[in-house]
Amino acid sequence: MTLGYLVRRLLAVILVLVVVTFAVFAITMILPGNAAVMILGEYGTDEAVAALERRLGLDRPWYIQYFDWFGGVVVGDFGQSLRLSQPVADVVGDAFWNSASLAVTALMSVTIIAIPLGVLAAIKRGTGSDLIIGIFSYIGASMPEFVTATLLLVFLAGPALGLLPAGGFIALNESIGGFASHVVLPAATLGLILTAHISRQVRSEMSEVLASDYIRAARLKGLRERRVIRRHALPNSLAPAVAVISLDMGYLLGGIIVVEEIFAWPGLGRLLILALENRDLPVIQAITLLLAAVYALSNLLSDIVIAMLDPRVRYA
Amino acid sequence: MTGLALLVLVLGAAIFGPFLAPYDPQAFHPTVRLQGPSAAHWLGTDQFGRDLLSRLLNGAPSTIFFGLGATLLGVGAGSVIGVIAGTAGGWIDSIIMRILDGLLAVPELLFTLLIVTILGGGMGQAMLAVAIAFTPGMARIARSSVLSIRTREYVLAAVARGEPSHYIVLREVLPNAAGPIIVESTIRVAFAIMIGATLGFLGLGAQPPSTEWGLMVAEARQFMFRNAWTVAVPGVAIAMAAMGFNLFGDALRDSLDPRRSH
Amino acid sequence: MAGKTTSHAAKRPVLEVAGYSLSYETATGPLHALKNIDLRVEHGQTHGLVGESGSGKSSLAWSILRYLPENAVENDGKILLSGESLRDRTLQQILEIRGRRISMVFQDPSTSLNPAMRLGEQLSEVLIRHRGLTPQEALEESEAALDRTGISKPKDMLRRYPHEASGGEKQRVVIATAFACNPELIIFDEPTTALDIITAQQILELFNQLQDETSISALYISHDLGLVSRVADSVSVINAGEIVESGPRGEVFRTPRDSYTKALLDAVPDPTHWLGVAAPPPETPALMTAKAITVEYGRQSRVAQLLAPKPTHVGAQDVSLEVRKGELVGLVGESGSGKSTMAKVLSGLQDFDGAVCFGDRSYARLGEIDRAYRRAVQIVFQHPDASLNPRQRVRQILSRPLKLYDIVPPEQRAERVAELLKKVRLPVEFADRFPHQLSGGEKQRVAIARAFAAEPELVICDEITAALDVSVQASVADLLVSLQNQTGTACLFITHDLNLVRQLAHRICVMQRGRLVDAFARDDAEAADRNPYTRALLKAVPPPASQAV
Repeated sequence: MTLGYLVRRLLAVILVLVVVTFAVFAITMILPGNAAVMILGEYGTDEAVAALERRLGLDRPWYIQYFDWFGGVVVGDFGQSLRLSQPVADVVGDAFWNSASLAVTALMSVTIIAIPLGVLAAIKRGTGSDLIIGIFSYIGASMPEFVTATLLLVFLAGPALGLLPAGGFIALNESIGGFASHVVLPAATLGLILTAHISRQVRSEMSEVLASDYIRAARLKGLRERRVIRRHALPNSLAPAVAVISLDMGYLLGGIIVVEEIFAWPGLGRLLILALENRDLPVIQAITLLLAAVYALSNLLSDIVIAMLDPRVRYA
Repeated sequence: MTGLALLVLVLGAAIFGPFLAPYDPQAFHPTVRLQGPSAAHWLGTDQFGRDLLSRLLNGAPSTIFFGLGATLLGVGAGSVIGVIAGTAGGWIDSIIMRILDGLLAVPELLFTLLIVTILGGGMGQAMLAVAIAFTPGMARIARSSVLSIRTREYVLAAVARGEPSHYIVLREVLPNAAGPIIVESTIRVAFAIMIGATLGFLGLGAQPPSTEWGLMVAEARQFMFRNAWTVAVPGVAIAMAAMGFNLFGDALRDSLDPRRSH
Repeated sequence: MAGKTTSHAAKRPVLEVAGYSLSYETATGPLHALKNIDLRVEHGQTHGLVGESGSGKSSLAWSILRYLPENAVENDGKILLSGESLRDRTLQQILEIRGRRISMVFQDPSTSLNPAMRLGEQLSEVLIRHRGLTPQEALEESEAALDRTGISKPKDMLRRYPHEASGGEKQRVVIATAFACNPELIIFDEPTTALDIITAQQILELFNQLQDETSISALYISHDLGLVSRVADSVSVINAGEIVESGPRGEVFRTPRDSYTKALLDAVPDPTHWLGVAAPPPETPALMTAKAITVEYGRQSRVAQLLAPKPTHVGAQDVSLEVRKGELVGLVGESGSGKSTMAKVLSGLQDFDGAVCFGDRSYARLGEIDRAYRRAVQIVFQHPDASLNPRQRVRQILSRPLKLYDIVPPEQRAERVAELLKKVRLPVEFADRFPHQLSGGEKQRVAIARAFAAEPELVICDEITAALDVSVQASVADLLVSLQNQTGTACLFITHDLNLVRQLAHRICVMQRGRLVDAFARDDAEAADRNPYTRALLKAVPPPASQAV
């Protein structure tokens, strides 16, 4: 894990992101209709549309539009939202923190629950507990976010029980209690599918570790099972567990879009859906770039953590 | 084996569903709106009095075949690319890998949304979008499976003999590399069903008057507090379909595991 | 130098197994692993347990240590440690016994050590657990223990992780751990099998030395008769779960009574027992010459070197050797010596610098190797499980070369396949079988048949007997020689088994760390002008068991 290695990885991430921006740009260029058309709607005459296009800069050749935008990004200027005529950075900025608070809450709860669940299932493999955990994780992994969300809403937020609000958002710095009550359902929705995946993977990794020769050797040294699990098995399953969590970031970043839509959570997901409907190119660009960057960086981070955990990788 | 049973049930519903529906899925029965299960309507009715069971059965093909179709396309395209990368090696492989890395950097659902927005809403377009989104992931799996078979000694023996490349790829490598690809495909079908339903829910996939299950949930949202069955029925059906494929895929993986065959 | 003979008549045996049977419940019925086992390890003695794979020798070790899976079914046979029954103990009691009164040394130190824990901790944890030492005391004691097992910088080694130590060093740590609590019995399960010849020899010497110093009682399990003859005082031979012979070492090895024991002893390679074909006359021209072959792995294009430089690794350096028509040349070396690299180069699988001359053509790169060469030079690999396409029947596997090189017209191919099977002493019906329906030895014969199907002039055998049991090894080697006799094919026989190669090869080449360090005719194997490495190798190889004192 040398500095050179880290630098090379970062460069690779940046390269990938550049490719992503280009791909997104290309995609949106192919989109039929553009922001001008969307803003003016059915009533836009051809001249009005053309005039708006000129004002928004949509009539320039594509490569000019791309490099202009790209140049801006490099210095931190993401352009103006075509729909709202506000700097994209402002529009996206707030949404980013909102999404982050939801994502972090979900991720933390998942990690705390899923890893011990997976470890337990592996240790008690073949017994009743394992079966129950297994069934739960199959069900969880088969339910798309919107189904989970809808079912949770029906049972917990409905007029019958009315335990939790059906949607909406209160910022953390306004009221912790308010934030908490509004974040529970969306985080639980995201968390369910993630917990199911992660616990299943952890179980399989841990089972493999438990079947290995060095665990057998440790048991044959007469060590108590608690020590075998704690000092021999767990450290060797942590690295794979981290790998799994970073893989699931992809699901998280996708699922958050749907969850925000259902629970009216004012984050990047909701913003993206609106932007897609309105062909708001700069916003689409910015959000896609942001999400891809988060994904890529989380993979890098997990690689670093794995290297710290596994002494063999450290010297690679 | 539970997986197989579920799978049979699900596929049966997909193929025969519309023919088995007791009522016309679009027919209104205003006198029995938003009712729970009863003798006349086994799963209850929705806000227009339409029979939920019939709608469910009618929507089965859309939901299930969406999953199968999207996966088939994605697996096909991805496998071809992955096999090419894995067998060609060298700079072809490097370029393909770089492009794959770039595409895989975008979370899958996001990717699907972007593509489906270009293509416009609708079942066919959504299916294509999901297929395109699956392709990089499948390519990577196909590639790594091919790479691991390429170093086996029987393949080396064929190379040493001077066998032509097409023989090596088609007769020595592919039949043995297919295993992991098939297992992954089965699990992907589950995923495709889920994404298809999500797109239907968001209005980007199936369009009314289709009774695709995701769409059913979306249409029933306003009324879900008055009759939970309207959302629960399609929701649980989606989960069961996905679960069937998941279980089957896992069982397939276990049985194909070479360690078990001794 | 074998174990000592102590007068032990007065003391009880440390380990006594009497009338013990074990079977596993499987979906297809019970699998009988051990049948009516009687075994004794006397105090201060080493008892060897010899058996091939699947004989049940490892199952016995697990039974003694009470480490059995849930589907294990035992009868009421006895297992006694110093007179006390081990069978009716609770798990807690067993955990007290393991590591403390009985310990175990495993076969492969790279898998039996925890890769994420420092070696020192893996040693001291038994001391802390069983002798109640504090971590500090345990570390000091561990350092002393490592010193006793011949580790040069013990304090250093304590802090290392397993991947930072060599195979020999790791095994010494495992041995030190086994001795740490002064157990009554140590079970050694093939402790040198995963090690290089010279390292294995060192570990063997260490074992004998420790045995002398501590008078430990040991159960030494191995498939290698030669090895066992060097360490054991008494021996049991196990075959298919039954003890077929038992007795003092000299008796069992020189005057075996059981037919299986006799067959096993006969199968062990004896360098003085020549099996090979007659040597070709001295003026025979060279069939294949390799000149100054150098292989560097990991070469990158300049672009790749800039972006992600990786160190290169030399597989072979400046190696020259030749094989004459009808000759069998042995290529010997330990792991990492480059012998497999040479196999790959000469069979057209690996790019190289230098030149390969075959017949009247010369090839300077992998790309130049042509079809004529590939037909004339065939290779047989080490692992029978991997060398045959699992999805093809034997008939297809053998027809392929016939078709590719047009050896016989299509209508005669089935007949030729039958002939090939007969030549490798397999029933003709095997043509319909899939590889997983064959045993290891049978698969290897099919691989040999496939090589000879092309009617080659040179067959490269890359460790073809290494993955086989001793008794099967002998028959495969025998088969190879008879085929050579029939066809006059030359052979490059690559192996790490020096005794075997001396039975077959006319000339022997020795490789070390990528270089060819010695080459000699078989008669000159023990001449004075041999390279010191060659001499070390020869000294490290156990003599055949029948010569046991």
